[in-house]
Amino acid sequence: MREEEVPKGLKNDIRVWLLIAAVVLSVVMIGPGYSAEEGLNTDLNYGLDLEGGSWIQIKLQGAVTQLDADISMLVTEIVESAIDAPIEIISVTGDAGEGYSNDGNTVTFTTSTYVSDLQMDLLGLGESDISYSDDTSSIVLSTNKQTLIMQYLSKALNTEVVPLFVGDGVEYEIRTAVSLEELQALMVPVGGNVLTGSDGAAIFREGVRTDTRDMTRDILSEKLNSLGLKDIPVRTVGEEYILIDFAGTDLTTAKEIVEKPGKFEIRMQTTGNESVHVLYGDSIEKVGIVTQVDGHWNTPFTLDEDGAFALQKIAIETGAITDPNSHLLYMYLDDREVYGAPLSFSAASALNEHPIYSWQASTGLDEDGKTQADQLQIHLRAGALPVNVVLMGSGQVDAALGEQFKRQVALAGLFALLAVAAVVFRRYHQKEILLPMVGTSLCEVIIILGFAGAINWQLDLPAIAGIIAAIGTGIDHLVIITDEVLYEGKLPSTKVYMERISKAFAIIFAAAATTTIAMSPLVVMGFGALRGFAITTIVGVLIGVLIARPVYGKVIKVVLDKAE
Amino acid sequence: MAVILTEYLDSFVRSCDDKKLIAIPLAVLVLSLLVSGFVFATTGAPVKLGMEFEGGTMIAFETQESAEVLELAYSAHSLVDARKTGDRAILQFGPMDGESQSELEKAITSKYSSVEIKQIGALYGKELQTQALIALCLSFIGMALVVFLIFRTAVPSLAVVLSAFSDIAIAIGFMNLVGIELSLGTVAALLMLIGYSVDSDILLTTRVLKRRGSPDENIGRAMHTGITMTTTTLAALVVMYIVSTFSYLVTSSVSQINLLSDIAIVLIFGLAADLMNTWLLNTGILRWHVRRSTPRRRRA
Repeated sequence: MREEEVPKGLKNDIRVWLLIAAVVLSVVMIGPGYSAEEGLNTDLNYGLDLEGGSWIQIKLQGAVTQLDADISMLVTEIVESAIDAPIEIISVTGDAGEGYSNDGNTVTFTTSTYVSDLQMDLLGLGESDISYSDDTSSIVLSTNKQTLIMQYLSKALNTEVVPLFVGDGVEYEIRTAVSLEELQALMVPVGGNVLTGSDGAAIFREGVRTDTRDMTRDILSEKLNSLGLKDIPVRTVGEEYILIDFAGTDLTTAKEIVEKPGKFEIRMQTTGNESVHVLYGDSIEKVGIVTQVDGHWNTPFTLDEDGAFALQKIAIETGAITDPNSHLLYMYLDDREVYGAPLSFSAASALNEHPIYSWQASTGLDEDGKTQADQLQIHLRAGALPVNVVLMGSGQVDAALGEQFKRQVALAGLFALLAVAAVVFRRYHQKEILLPMVGTSLCEVIIILGFAGAINWQLDLPAIAGIIAAIGTGIDHLVIITDEVLYEGKLPSTKVYMERISKAFAIIFAAAATTTIAMSPLVVMGFGALRGFAITTIVGVLIGVLIARPVYGKVIKVVLDKAE
Repeated sequence: MAVILTEYLDSFVRSCDDKKLIAIPLAVLVLSLLVSGFVFATTGAPVKLGMEFEGGTMIAFETQESAEVLELAYSAHSLVDARKTGDRAILQFGPMDGESQSELEKAITSKYSSVEIKQIGALYGKELQTQALIALCLSFIGMALVVFLIFRTAVPSLAVVLSAFSDIAIAIGFMNLVGIELSLGTVAALLMLIGYSVDSDILLTTRVLKRRGSPDENIGRAMHTGITMTTTTLAALVVMYIVSTFSYLVTSSVSQINLLSDIAIVLIFGLAADLMNTWLLNTGILRWHVRRSTPRRRRA
């Protein structure tokens, strides 16, 4: 069906030109070429199962829930386990209701052992004021319920717990696997429970927030890129899955890459280009959410005890506490500098007195500063993913096998087309029908492939199965058109012909609609390998129904007119 | 073949009464449901679940060693099955922990060539099961809705939906009989079957309800078109099945493409069932419906 073959009557038909344009454009998109070394090649992207490589699918473990608990029981539970001695709550002031309160609470309690400022600070509950009389320490703690619940759970489950204010309540994201029953059992000692929604069901779902999932994906991408492995697609699948494709890498290597944490290091400048080691990534206990203070974007992070002391020691030794501007603090990820800035004067002078646990890395103003702060948040986490992950599935096809699959699929496609052509010829015994029919099918294949090339769609085995399915229904539809046109055995007048064509298309559209509807759950559910299959089937059916098959209807009339 | 089949079917349909036409496919449907029901009662699933839904590891590679030798060599790794097709060995393992998994993969990739690995966690398999079930149900409901929207009359729409259901049920029954497992490929095939099976049913129903002429004439003409449609598709599928399954007989190092092979074989049987369901079941119901609702005097 090349241009020169199109008979005269078709030259004024816009649909014919549309099809020709689509085919030409598709050929450009497929970009076939030939070179002596590589033989025949195209611009099409093939999936791992045809190109060789491996894939890993991981699940993010976690739970999102709303909770309530008793403030004095929370304080008792948290503080007693930290200081190893019983405490007595004297008073609790402030709003103790279920919802979020801005004012916070003041909890006063006493204990018969010595409690230091550092001990209380390390608990991360809030500001505290300690006074001693005889053998008793009295502590006045300014805190709030969400901080207490967060600290209690993160200690009990040994994971990060992130509270977020939603509407009138607080939602807690627990970043490890925990069941509703486990959580309910954990809340009992602190007089708490999992809140229930208006429908009476507990507000609890497995998984993590979309933001957390995306951050995990970004960290993985960043990590893979920092290893010099460009173009490794890290995709999210559904709410809780992340899929990583490693083209040309075997599974063993791929697993090592994902499991191996990146090397994060903080160094401090001594003189000129010289610097000394301060700490590694394992000293970073927590990385906070990017915030804006006085227009400047910040990435907060917390050091552990060793890290905080190491930073203080080096700052004193290098002289950064007296002259921060000539002793910058540098951060490296896999030996690549990702951040460099002087200590703030307030921090520098504070370091003279005591170590600092909570730091904020300032990145600058505006959007640029925010982007950098987001980047730094990822870098600081290098290797350490924010949530627990488990391997859900993995696979490998090596390159030679992929090459073989590709040849075999091409062979299957070619033979299938020949088989179809044979059946069609046996039925109609006319090459005037056979040629346009096979030609239309070929055009459909070319346009589907061109579409795949244009949107950089990866052609894998399921996608190719989808194309075959689309072509299969395509041939069916062409048979319907042909039989409708030749309804009483011979070609009718133009008026009757138009009626029949529209009847044929009524059937075809109905059939196409059911196929599209039947495949759409797979597209929406994004379920494993079958998503590609469903999308190519739908795209193929639409291309066929909207672009190629109407032209077949025109061409078949002209061709048969000539033949008579 | 198509022409002979069409003529035979056409005269068969003309000579039989509606009840008899409907009875044959219904009997096959009931038999299939019984088979699947029995499998469901004994295993808890209506069809044997494959590795992708059960969890486990499949490793295939090229080797001259026999299946027995391999079975012995990897028996320590919860080996479920070892097979050979041509020069390719396919080992199936049950679920194992991450470390032994990595060890096994390392051992095999360093020793053999053309390695293919597929591993699905048991938990993920469970999730895929639910998703597959949901996808099948949604597809089916979606298809039924579209069919009702198109025809807007109860009996013809129900006939189409019933024969689509019967196609799937018979295909699943066949999978049970022959021992084909449910894999991503076979789920895809069952979904494709929903699309393919209604094509010919819609053709039939439109021709019979919206054309002049006697139902038998319209059915005969629809049959000519419909059987051509199904046989072209069948021809393509048979070729696809042969190439993806038996290429190793020509070159013994060539691997089977399981995904395509699974899709092809299930569709071949699904479409064979569709021939019967469209031209006996659906036709029978439709003809009964048309004759019942058309007053006698108009047909004189």
